[in-house]
Amino acid sequence: MTVVTLPVVPGLGGLYLRGAVGGRSRTTLPDLGYRVAGVRADPDRLTAYQHLLGEPATDQLPAGFVHVLAFPVATALMTRPDFPLRLLGMVHLANRITQHRPVHLGEELEMRARADDLRPHHRGTQVDLVTTVHGADGEEAWRGVSTYLAPGVRLPGDDRPDRPDRAEFRAPSPTGRWRYDADRGRRYAAVSGDANPIHLSALSARAFGFPRAIAHGMDTAARALADVGAARGDAFTWTAEFAAPVLLPSSPSVRIERDPGGFGYRVWDAGRGKLHLHGRVDLAPSG
Amino acid sequence: MPETAAPTTPTRAVILGGNRIPFARAGGAYARCSNQDMFTAALNGLVARFGLQGERLGEVVAGAVIKHSRDFNLTRESVLGSPLSAQTPAYDLQQACATGLEAVVGVANKIRLGQIDSGVAGGVDSSSDVPVTVSEGLRHTLLALHRATTLPQRLKAASAFRPGDLAPAFPGVAEPRTGLSMGEHQALTTAQWGIGRQEQDEIALASHQRLAAAWDSGFFDDLVTSYRGLQRDQNLRPDTSLEKLGALKPVFGTRLDTPATMTAGNSTPLTDGASSVLLGSDDWATAHGLTPLAVVIDAETAAVDFVHGEDGLLMAPAYAVPRLLARQGLTLDDLDLIEIHEAFAATVAGTLAAWSDKEFCVDRLALDDVLGTVDRAKLNVHGSSLAAGHPFAATGGRIVATAAKELARRKAETGRTARALISVCAAGGLGVAAILESA
Repeated sequence: MTVVTLPVVPGLGGLYLRGAVGGRSRTTLPDLGYRVAGVRADPDRLTAYQHLLGEPATDQLPAGFVHVLAFPVATALMTRPDFPLRLLGMVHLANRITQHRPVHLGEELEMRARADDLRPHHRGTQVDLVTTVHGADGEEAWRGVSTYLAPGVRLPGDDRPDRPDRAEFRAPSPTGRWRYDADRGRRYAAVSGDANPIHLSALSARAFGFPRAIAHGMDTAARALADVGAARGDAFTWTAEFAAPVLLPSSPSVRIERDPGGFGYRVWDAGRGKLHLHGRVDLAPSG
Repeated sequence: MPETAAPTTPTRAVILGGNRIPFARAGGAYARCSNQDMFTAALNGLVARFGLQGERLGEVVAGAVIKHSRDFNLTRESVLGSPLSAQTPAYDLQQACATGLEAVVGVANKIRLGQIDSGVAGGVDSSSDVPVTVSEGLRHTLLALHRATTLPQRLKAASAFRPGDLAPAFPGVAEPRTGLSMGEHQALTTAQWGIGRQEQDEIALASHQRLAAAWDSGFFDDLVTSYRGLQRDQNLRPDTSLEKLGALKPVFGTRLDTPATMTAGNSTPLTDGASSVLLGSDDWATAHGLTPLAVVIDAETAAVDFVHGEDGLLMAPAYAVPRLLARQGLTLDDLDLIEIHEAFAATVAGTLAAWSDKEFCVDRLALDDVLGTVDRAKLNVHGSSLAAGHPFAATGGRIVATAAKELARRKAETGRTARALISVCAAGGLGVAAILESA
């Protein structure tokens, strides 16, 4: 695999413009990865992120903040003309982040991104974007795998899998409720740089088939991580599976529950009894 | 080396009396009064009752749960507005609804250590005269404008202004980490422990009947000073009945699987009020011709993890009390009075249910068996927050002064030492418990 070094982390705004245009002719992933070295977190942006998500404003970067730092490198891959799926309109299906050790403010970081495992999904085609973050010693500190779906896209020769049986969701008793105002998407966009139009306003979301603006999936998953709190420790794996978008404004119910492996969480619409997302925070075995 | 007389046993901290103003309904008699107004009124009544004009006390400790930032020295400012000596120091304390009880514990501990010989503990809260703040967006814009020194900087800062930022922000009623109101939290606990509507309404009825009886008998004559035309607690409904309480519609837990049972009748209302308690050493009491009512024996604070659903928000006293009793070598049967703050009737019922549940007591409290059952005749004998109302930080002082007087009354009647347990739950999963004995 060729690794192309980018001079800086690209801006997401330009990437979305590029991701909105052009047809896709290729049916395989480019054999290429991106890397950006010398990335440092901005303290003011970190503070704003921590305040919005309810994380204590320590000098440790929340795992979700590392994601927003590294995410544009992966996005740049997806907007290449030779990337087989078109970025805009893609649906974030799932996310899995492993923090091997805390990443601190002031650290010089290297981000690496590649795409992996292009495969059929019952609603289209899915792909994994694998991003890793490395410290000055080159050791991997953080790894994120974001799974995206391009709805309706069929690759030649793929066997369309059957829709998996999903267990019926039965709302548990909540441990909390999040209050998302109509501007939540704009507020998360301000701290994450992810100004995808589906999150910004009802008008811009309607252009992509949503009745109202929707919350960023990673905003909701990161809020669950914040609710788990310091008990997650220094090393953990944090997963999210996105079932249905949170239409803004909204006050979804949440249950965070400790179990022997770590914490499970569920977020749902109490009025309609519908699951938005669920996931886990599994603590790394100590020692 | 200078000679020092190190005390071999700590001094006793005795409760000498208390004074509060009648508690008013939110938006009622004290709607225009500030926290400082009300606490000064309570303090003035205490000074008048015990002849403390010009007296330099060891310390005055009080606080308010909902407080404006300009009231950073609320208690000291109240002291300066009172007839106490201006040389009386003070500090503010805040532990949500446990503020008043924690203030009593703090003052008592300093007396026991010999650091002070006298003090006042108290609290105040207004649900009517609350601070209203600007939105976070406008606040950030204003702060940036304040920092800007040049015209371009000011213009840049001002350009961040959005008309939507003009909406004012009122103090929230939700727990910051869960977004659920206290009533919603209690509804989850109520469902978990299967506390029924009938039991809750009976607790509420007893609270009103007992508080009304205490007022009628003159029990509060030397514990309360009227204020702004109010003579009695404004929320008290002496004529309420199980029928009237039973007719109220549930307001919390209406979206749970279990039947909703919590109403405006068996939940405490928003209230305005202030309370104060006078404490001192035996020597100070003698020097001032005052008779101790009760002794502060010990206290314990607990906290629970309600964020991850391990315990109910208001269940910390269920942990604090067994730890406190164990340290003192006591059981529930050794108590003559049990005061459990009625945040909700279901809070009291849930706490009692937990103490008589073997699984909870063994698994969660690490006891060998159940803690025990509480004789309802000993519980909140002069009524509590359901009837009196609950001006958050003022509740601890109300309960302590009431219990201290009742302990003294019982000792005078029987000649035997009487013992009281006080427990107060608080936001943040906190709970404080204390033991008092007749002096």
